[in-house]
Amino acid sequence: MTEPSAPPDLAAAFRERGYVAGPALVTALRLVVALGKPLLLEGPAGVGKTEAAKTLAAALGTRLIRLQCYEGLDAQSALYEWNYARQLLHLRAAEVGGRPVTDADLYGPEFLMPRPLLEAIRQPAPPVLLIDEVDRADDAFEAFLLELLAEWQVTVPELGTLTATARPHVLLTSNRARELSDALRRRCLYLWVDYPTRGQELEIVRARLPGIHETLAAQVTRAVHALRELPLGKPPGVAETLDWAAALVALHRDHLDAEALDLTLGAVLKLREDQLLARATLGKLAAP
Amino acid sequence: MTPTADLRERVVAFVAHLRLTHGFRVGPGEAAAALEALGAVNLGQRREVLDALRAVLTASREEGRLFDLAFDAFFRLREGPPPPQLPPLLPETKAPLSPPPPSRQPGGRPGEERPVPGSAQAENPEEGTGSPSSRPNPDREAEGEPGTPARILTARLSPHAGAGGEVDAPGDDLPDLLRAAGALVRAVELGRGRRLVPRPRGTRLDARRTLRAAARTAGDPARLRWLGRPRRAPRFLLVLDGSRSMGKSATLLLRFAQALHLRSRRVEVYAFSTGLTRLTPYLRRAPPGGPLTLPDLGEAWGGGTRIGENLLRLARGERGRVSRDTAVLILSDGLDTGEPEALSRALRDLRARAGLVVWLSPLAALPGYQPVQRAVQAALPHLDAFLPAGGLEDLRALGRRLRR
Repeated sequence: MTEPSAPPDLAAAFRERGYVAGPALVTALRLVVALGKPLLLEGPAGVGKTEAAKTLAAALGTRLIRLQCYEGLDAQSALYEWNYARQLLHLRAAEVGGRPVTDADLYGPEFLMPRPLLEAIRQPAPPVLLIDEVDRADDAFEAFLLELLAEWQVTVPELGTLTATARPHVLLTSNRARELSDALRRRCLYLWVDYPTRGQELEIVRARLPGIHETLAAQVTRAVHALRELPLGKPPGVAETLDWAAALVALHRDHLDAEALDLTLGAVLKLREDQLLARATLGKLAAP
Repeated sequence: MTPTADLRERVVAFVAHLRLTHGFRVGPGEAAAALEALGAVNLGQRREVLDALRAVLTASREEGRLFDLAFDAFFRLREGPPPPQLPPLLPETKAPLSPPPPSRQPGGRPGEERPVPGSAQAENPEEGTGSPSSRPNPDREAEGEPGTPARILTARLSPHAGAGGEVDAPGDDLPDLLRAAGALVRAVELGRGRRLVPRPRGTRLDARRTLRAAARTAGDPARLRWLGRPRRAPRFLLVLDGSRSMGKSATLLLRFAQALHLRSRRVEVYAFSTGLTRLTPYLRRAPPGGPLTLPDLGEAWGGGTRIGENLLRLARGERGRVSRDTAVLILSDGLDTGEPEALSRALRDLRARAGLVVWLSPLAALPGYQPVQRAVQAALPHLDAFLPAGGLEDLRALGRRLRR
C-alpha cells in the first residue's frame, strides 16, 4: 500500500487554493491522512464540507472520487454494475457462432462498469473518496458502508473479493437530514463544521474574490452574519456569501446599497418568505 | 512527536473518565486511536492536542460541546482549583435551537451553539437564564398572594406559571400503549421508497437476475425478473404539549410517545410549554417497563402554552429532518396564549415537507366538543386529520382512523 503523505503545512496548502480552513478542520484532515480513518463532517449546508474534500485532494495532488448519496442508493449503483446489453449481445453472438459460453466469458472485466466505491479501491495511489450527504442514503446503504470502511475490500460474487490497492482518504459529509447510526460514527473521526466567524468569512471572501472592494466585502460579510441571526428557513451558507459577493462584483458595485440589494437578493436568500422576513434587517444595513 | 509514558497514562485515564462520567461510548479502541492521533500532532500546541482528541473521541456535536469542558477540567487536575462539576452528557443535550451554555463564547469555534434571535429565549432574555425553579418568577409569586380575580387569571394564563420540576408519568398501561403504537406504525402508509428491490412483480426489469436466468437458455430471456419499490417505513415527529392545561393527558401522551419510541427507532419526540425541549434522548435512556420519570424539563413542561412560537422553532430547526417519510403528530389541547399567525406559518412549513400532519386533542374526545380555540382554528386548514386523544381507547383507534 502506498505510504500516505500530506504537505507539512496543510493550512497554507488550503489557503493557496482559496480555502480558509480553521485549525480544528486542519488537524482533523491531518489525522485522516496519518491514521487512515474516515472523517465524518457534519454541519449546516453551505459551510464548505464538500469543498474541504475537493481542496484536500488538490493539496495532496491526488484524485477526488465522489459518491453523491440519495434516497434509494444501493450497493450496485455505488460499487459496480455489469454491462447487461453487451453481455446479452455476447451471448447471442456466441450462440450464432456455435461457441460455448462460460461464466468467465460473461463476467470478465470488459463487462464490468466500476462505480465510485470500486473505482476508489482500485486506484494505484490513495485518492480522496468523498461520500457526500450520507444522511440522504437509507439505513441499508449505511450498513453496507460499515463493512467497506472497516475492511477496505468488496466482494463481487462473479469475481471474488477485491481488496484496496491503496486505502483512500475518506471524507463523509452530512447535513443531519437524519440521524446516522452510532456504528458509523464510531468508525469515523468526527468534526462539526459551523458557520465561520465574521473575520474568517471576510478572509474567505478576500481569498476567493481577490479583486473585491474592501468596503463591499465587509458589508456583505456583515449582512450575511445579520441574516444568520434571523429565524430563516434556509440560512445563507458560505457558498451564498461568495455567490452574493461575486454577483455584486459582476455588477461593478463597490458597496452595498438598496438598489444593489434589490438586484442581488436572490443570490443569498432562496426562499420568498426569507426574503420578506429579511427586508427590514437588510434595509438598515444598506441604508446610506 | 511520540507521547511520553505519563501522557499516555493520562490520555487513557481521560478516555475512561469520558466514558464513566459523561457516558461517551469510548473504549480501548478509541484510547489507542487517541494515542496514535497524538503521535501525529505537535504536543507542544495545546490547541492541536485538543482538536485531535476531540476528532477521535467524539461522535456528535453534543459530545463535542461537552468534550471541550471535560478536557479543560481534566487536564487542569494537577494544579489549580478542583474541576467544576460537569453535567452528564444526556441531560446536556438540548433542542437544536436551544441557546448555548453560558460558559461558552458565541460564534467562535466549530462545535459551538449560537443563540437564535427571534426565539422565545432571545426575545425574553430572562427566560433563557437559570432554571425555572431558581429564577424569580413574578407570576408564581402572584399566585401565593390573596389576589384579585384579575391577578389570579393573569397567573393562570401566564406563560411562566408553574413551569419546571421533575416529570413523573407513572402508569401500568405500557402493554396497551405498545399495542396502540404498533397499530399506528403499521397503519401509517406514506408511499413507496425509491430503492428498487427484487419482487415477484414490479415496475422495472431486473436485468441482472433476468440475464442470469437467460444464460441457461442460451441468451433467450424466457423468464423476466422484476424490481419494485418497497413500502417506506414512516418516521414520526411527536410534538407534545406539556403545558399545565393538558393535565393528566400530558403524562398519558408522554407514555404513548415512549411506547411509540419503543416500537420504532425512527421517532423524534419534543415537548413544549413556553419553551421547547427534545425528549428523544431521555426516552432512549428510560428503562421500558418501569415508571417513566424525566428530569426537570424547565420551560417545556408544566407552564403556559405558546404553541405557534414553539412549533415555528421546531419547523425551522427540524426542517432538514422532516421529509415525505415523516408523520408529524401534534398532541395538544389547543389552549394557547400565543399568536395564531405563528402557528399557521409553522404548520404550513411542516405540511409542505411532511408526509402527514395530524393533531391529537384530548378535548376533542369530550362530547359536544367544537374546535373553536384560536390555535385549532388556525391549524385546521393545514392538517390531514384532527383526532381525539382523550384516553387509551382513542389511542388504540388511532391506527384505524388514520388508515381510512
